[in-house]
Amino acid sequence: MRPEHWWYTVPLRLRSLLRLGQVGRELDEEMQFHVDKLIEEGIASGLSPQDARNAALRTMGGLSQEKEKVRDLLGTRWLTDFLDDIRYAARSLARAPGLSFFVILTLALGIAMTAAPLSMVDALVFRPYPVPHPERIVNLTSTSPYGSFEPFSYPEYLDIVARAKSYSGVIASGDYIPMGYSVRSGETARVRGGMLVSGNYFSALEVAPQLGRAFRPEEDEVPGRDPVVVLGRDFWKQELASDPTIVGRTIRLNGTVFTVIGVAPESFPGMSVFIRPDFYVPFAMARLFSTQPEKDFFHDRDARGLLVRARLKPGATLAEARNELAAIANDFEREHPQFNRNRGGMVRNQVQTRTRGDDPNWKFGVVFLLLAITVLTVACTNAASLLLSRAGTRTREIAVRLALGAGRSRLVRMLLAESLLLALMGGVAGVIAGFALIRVIARFGIPTTLPVHVPFQMDLRILTVCAALSVASAIVFGLAPALQSTRVEVIEGLKAGEVELPGRKRFWGRNVLVAGQVAASLMMLTAGLVVMRGFHHGLVEGVDFAKTAKDHVLVATFDPRLLQYDAARTERFYEELIDRVRQTPGVVSAGLTQNPPLGLEAFESLAYVPEGAAMSSERETYDVAMDTVDGGYFDAMGIPIARGRAIQATDTRDTPRVAVVNEAFAAHHWPGADALGKRFHLGKRGGPLVEIVGITPTLRYRSPYEKPMEFVYLALSQRPVAHLALLMRSNGNPLTLIEPLKGIVRSIDPDLPIVNVRSYGVLYRYNVVEGPGIAVRLSMTMGAMALFLAVAGLYGLISYNVSRRTREIGIRMALGADRPDVIRLVLGKGLLLVTVGGAIGLALGFGVEQLMNAAIFNIGGVDLLVYAIVVPTMLLVTMLATWVPALRASRIEPTRALRWE
Amino acid sequence: MSKPSDLVQGTLDLLILKLLALEPLHGWAISRRLKIVSQDVLQVSEGSLYPALHKLEQEGWITAEWKQTENNRRAKFYSLTRLGRKQLELESASWQLLSSAITRVVRLSEA
Repeated sequence: MRPEHWWYTVPLRLRSLLRLGQVGRELDEEMQFHVDKLIEEGIASGLSPQDARNAALRTMGGLSQEKEKVRDLLGTRWLTDFLDDIRYAARSLARAPGLSFFVILTLALGIAMTAAPLSMVDALVFRPYPVPHPERIVNLTSTSPYGSFEPFSYPEYLDIVARAKSYSGVIASGDYIPMGYSVRSGETARVRGGMLVSGNYFSALEVAPQLGRAFRPEEDEVPGRDPVVVLGRDFWKQELASDPTIVGRTIRLNGTVFTVIGVAPESFPGMSVFIRPDFYVPFAMARLFSTQPEKDFFHDRDARGLLVRARLKPGATLAEARNELAAIANDFEREHPQFNRNRGGMVRNQVQTRTRGDDPNWKFGVVFLLLAITVLTVACTNAASLLLSRAGTRTREIAVRLALGAGRSRLVRMLLAESLLLALMGGVAGVIAGFALIRVIARFGIPTTLPVHVPFQMDLRILTVCAALSVASAIVFGLAPALQSTRVEVIEGLKAGEVELPGRKRFWGRNVLVAGQVAASLMMLTAGLVVMRGFHHGLVEGVDFAKTAKDHVLVATFDPRLLQYDAARTERFYEELIDRVRQTPGVVSAGLTQNPPLGLEAFESLAYVPEGAAMSSERETYDVAMDTVDGGYFDAMGIPIARGRAIQATDTRDTPRVAVVNEAFAAHHWPGADALGKRFHLGKRGGPLVEIVGITPTLRYRSPYEKPMEFVYLALSQRPVAHLALLMRSNGNPLTLIEPLKGIVRSIDPDLPIVNVRSYGVLYRYNVVEGPGIAVRLSMTMGAMALFLAVAGLYGLISYNVSRRTREIGIRMALGADRPDVIRLVLGKGLLLVTVGGAIGLALGFGVEQLMNAAIFNIGGVDLLVYAIVVPTMLLVTMLATWVPALRASRIEPTRALRWE
Repeated sequence: MSKPSDLVQGTLDLLILKLLALEPLHGWAISRRLKIVSQDVLQVSEGSLYPALHKLEQEGWITAEWKQTENNRRAKFYSLTRLGRKQLELESASWQLLSSAITRVVRLSEA
């Protein structure tokens, strides 16, 4: 069709659709005009007004028929039909309020349960970067000899920038790090989160500041020359009350004066969904924020800590970029064999980056999403079986409609309109419930030093998917009943209230639905219990120390680097601090650590070689997680020394280096021998030797459900660290120690901020109670809901069967069947379904258990207890669901049943 | 000779377009005009006229507008669009072709 055609017709069609009433009125008016003219003509030719009118109406052949003809031409038939369908559907649903309510509730639960994990998976995997053309942004990573993805170092980044040709811009950013923020000098600095970025960070991402400007290239060229900062959006709004005059003013970061040059735009909260940096500072200022004084950020090729991203040039593909980076990594390996042996490079897009193998968060999200979709499917099958059972009682109505000439497709449309209406109502309720659920999850606070943003939200993306899911469910659960109920023999349907179709085919579908529900709910229950037991399993071992620590230990973190303390002054500060704290009344013991077990920060990694160990050629060192602690640490934390001794005050800089290791570490290197007194080199062979003086049990360090991991403690006096946590153990409530602690710190240095202070119980609750708690509650809720749905479905099916077979049961009883016979007859059917569904569900549940154990809990084997709980519960509940209708069947009076219609 | 009770298939569109090419008219006027111009030979029933008008409107060949008639009643006046004019040329041409062909055949049988 020519475009001009649409110019005329599109407005017409739109008008017909949108202003149906007016179009109809105009039609009436046009016809009326014609009739009036006819009458005038009749009168003029000598007829009486009445005769003229009658003649005119005859000529018009019945006005309404004319109008219908014209209406068909308007192309709005389908819409008016659809509106009729919806009106009719609303009436028909209102006639069965109980059924409608249950279907809506079922769907609402299903949609709500899907919305929550959907938002998780969206945030963790799919939500695009908040920049223009986010699909062109890729992540560049170094790959370690062991196949893991690692960041690049600054020199490597510069080389990539110089050599890579596939990108319109290559950017890098450092970790989210604490920065001491103050407005003027002398004011106590507060800790906020900031990020070091490359000078082209904003320009390459195509993000324009809402105020001021982004970095100039030369501001990231000379180390230490240009102290400029771009403020984060939230910081500017909340801390500075959206001050429009902030650009050009100064703030102090870690004691240095920075000029504010811009504010990140509203659309750009940051590249990571979890964090919203307050400050963006160019790499040239890196020394000010360095926490690894022994590493030179600008020159050390193995100080790898930069997240490198790039924007693909138009026309460049991911595959080309990969080949290019692989070639660059090859060059690195040739040019710097000592740093880059067996290292490669990898380019990944957003989704590939976010679905890292070692990140359990998105896996949780996906597992929950799969479970939720199962719940939704169960909900749909349940709604379908409810509608099917209703379809049976509507046979006569359908038959009448067919007899009056309704087309089958027209009837299917009518019935689908009903399910659509149900699904939409369920969808709306579900979205509201899902919104509430997401709010609850998003409120879940993570007690980190720097604020972590929980990115789960109900946004347009989720809403769209939920709406699509509702419509899809309507089709899923509506189509089968609609097709089946229109397949009615008209004569039969008119004769009988209920039609018994020949053969058993008709009920086969419903049996499959119920068996499927039983299977799905069994699987869900298993999954829920596996999650619960998985967390429980993590708790029974390795967290003994936390039982007393959670009620009695106060954790306060300090970082004197925020005030630019040098190493000696830092050491003096901590010595004085711990001395004063130990003398404080109420303090039973006190110690220092980099990060308490189950704390929130990452443990440092220690490279070492056991003394005398033969290292293979491709491997120079081992790596182990480590902590640096002082003599008071083990008592304060409540970690027992199994053998040997703890680190003591007598271990100083001048005495031989000592270490305490855990049993896993000892067993790894000295299996079957005593590790006490054995030594290992720090770093490579030839590095300083450290003697193992004590062995602790293997604890849980990072999370309560981790694999047993090796761990080493080094002495603080022999390895000074600036960022430390002070542990104070009291006999009572640890929070009463906060005030005395503040006094002590004030008296040592009034300017020094306490980065963070909280009881160990907060950490413990986060790790052990709340985090797992959400997972357990979520999966158990889903399991319980699936079971509820399955039971309802089973009950519905069996009762429907019983009512349908009333006459048959009556005959059987009249012929001498007694009540147990009847109960057996009805129960048998239910039990068969439960058995089949149960068997499938067990198989599925077993699969899910293996999957979850492998992916999340790191435990093997089959948890028999789970099945010992799930299977009998399932049997009992389903028995009950069949027992009630069976009992009712057995109470049937034969005489009444025979007269049953 | 009896009057042709039904118009030849498809010619109603042509007639309407032709009449509207002269001036905008409402439905009543079209039916009268047709009757008068064809000297009562061509009579279109109301049952065909209005659906045909709406069809032409939906095709984009004619467009409608509410206007006052000479004795001050509101009526829906149809007029030809640019597309309709093209369509009219197309249909007149094909009508000419068809009618001359039929005429030739009819003459042949007379001879």
